[in-house]
Amino acid sequence: MSRSAQSNTNLLDRPLGRSGGRVGGSSDATSVSLSAFAYVYSELVQYHQGRAASVSELERRLESAGYGVGLKVLELVAYRSKETKRETRLMSMLQFVSSSVWKSLFGKAADSLERSIDHADEFMIVDYEPITSTFVSVPQDLGQLSADAYVSGIIAGVLDGAGFSARVTAHSVDLEDGEYSKPNTTGMPPRKDKAVFLVKFSPEVLSRDAALDR
Amino acid sequence: MTSKAQAGTALWAKMPKANAELFALTYGSLVTELVRDYEDPIEVNAQLDRIGHSIGVRCVDEFLSKADVAGMGLSTQCNNLRDTAEVVAKVGFKMFLGVTAEVGGFSQDQRSFSVYLQDNPLSTFVELPSESAQGGDDLRRLKYSQILCGVIRGALEQVNLKVECSIVRDTLKGDEVNEIRVDLKEVLADGAGDDYKEE
Repeated sequence: MSRSAQSNTNLLDRPLGRSGGRVGGSSDATSVSLSAFAYVYSELVQYHQGRAASVSELERRLESAGYGVGLKVLELVAYRSKETKRETRLMSMLQFVSSSVWKSLFGKAADSLERSIDHADEFMIVDYEPITSTFVSVPQDLGQLSADAYVSGIIAGVLDGAGFSARVTAHSVDLEDGEYSKPNTTGMPPRKDKAVFLVKFSPEVLSRDAALDR
Repeated sequence: MTSKAQAGTALWAKMPKANAELFALTYGSLVTELVRDYEDPIEVNAQLDRIGHSIGVRCVDEFLSKADVAGMGLSTQCNNLRDTAEVVAKVGFKMFLGVTAEVGGFSQDQRSFSVYLQDNPLSTFVELPSESAQGGDDLRRLKYSQILCGVIRGALEQVNLKVECSIVRDTLKGDEVNEIRVDLKEVLADGAGDDYKEE
């Protein structure tokens, strides 16, 4: 199936193809090398960095770059899934993000999904090896920058598109001893931090979900 | 299958992978940002070329080291531009993008050639406005995949070949194949230059 043969067909009339969830097969046409992704992503970060005055502005720019991608990803994953139902409950929506969406984007489910103890409206999605920061080392002067802000933008796009508006931020958190020791596949030294995506839902989303409980 | 194509396939098999759709969408968000910021498609093309160049300069290192580990002995393989072209298309493109590129269209003086790309991972989900669309005429001048030209230019520059690259056919514009024309301008002198000579 070559893309060229379809070039005269309207984009929307072309088949969507299979989900790119299978990663690693050598004959797999739905993957590119991680390096290629890292090069392009690095340029995306550099481009925005050149136009941002502060770390938080850079993160916001990356988030907004990811937001549009998230909206499209939601549509893709939804069209491809065999079930035709739409997630209406908050927990199942989060499950959908941390499993289905994660698998289609990164070839694996997120490492964990946690509910914040202190705040009822906050949830955390944890990934030990996010590909957006695999080859990234943040210089001192950029301090708190998380290069995974792009992914948090994608999550926000997916959630918003599904009617769960939320503020999503990315944080890198140092690993505790022995917390995670799986050898990585990239040939890089083991990571010392993990990415935590903090999802804070809007009040109306929570009250709607509570209303559904009754 | 030629030995270069085999080497390309072997290297590709060893590369860690990322999802091609995420790759395409990420590139798309970069291009849309550029279009929004620069407006003029010609300027966007120039920016994409510059970005590609910066990638090319770095990816050639990864390419050479990995190809070296794989025992390709590239220094002996690239005796002329024809060899170089084959390595770029069959090994380089395969290794990074997982697609097969073909080489052809050598000029009489053997100083320019074309890389043909059936599948372009950058252009998944992409549609450029058609000429008839209102206000779409401007974006017809956008070379969506210009970044590839920059990458080739940057990578070859690092191995002392100064080339000019341009996209001459593009499936996004209804052509049957993507064709990148590579034109050798100059073989740069080897060595570190006068500044670094030992006293």
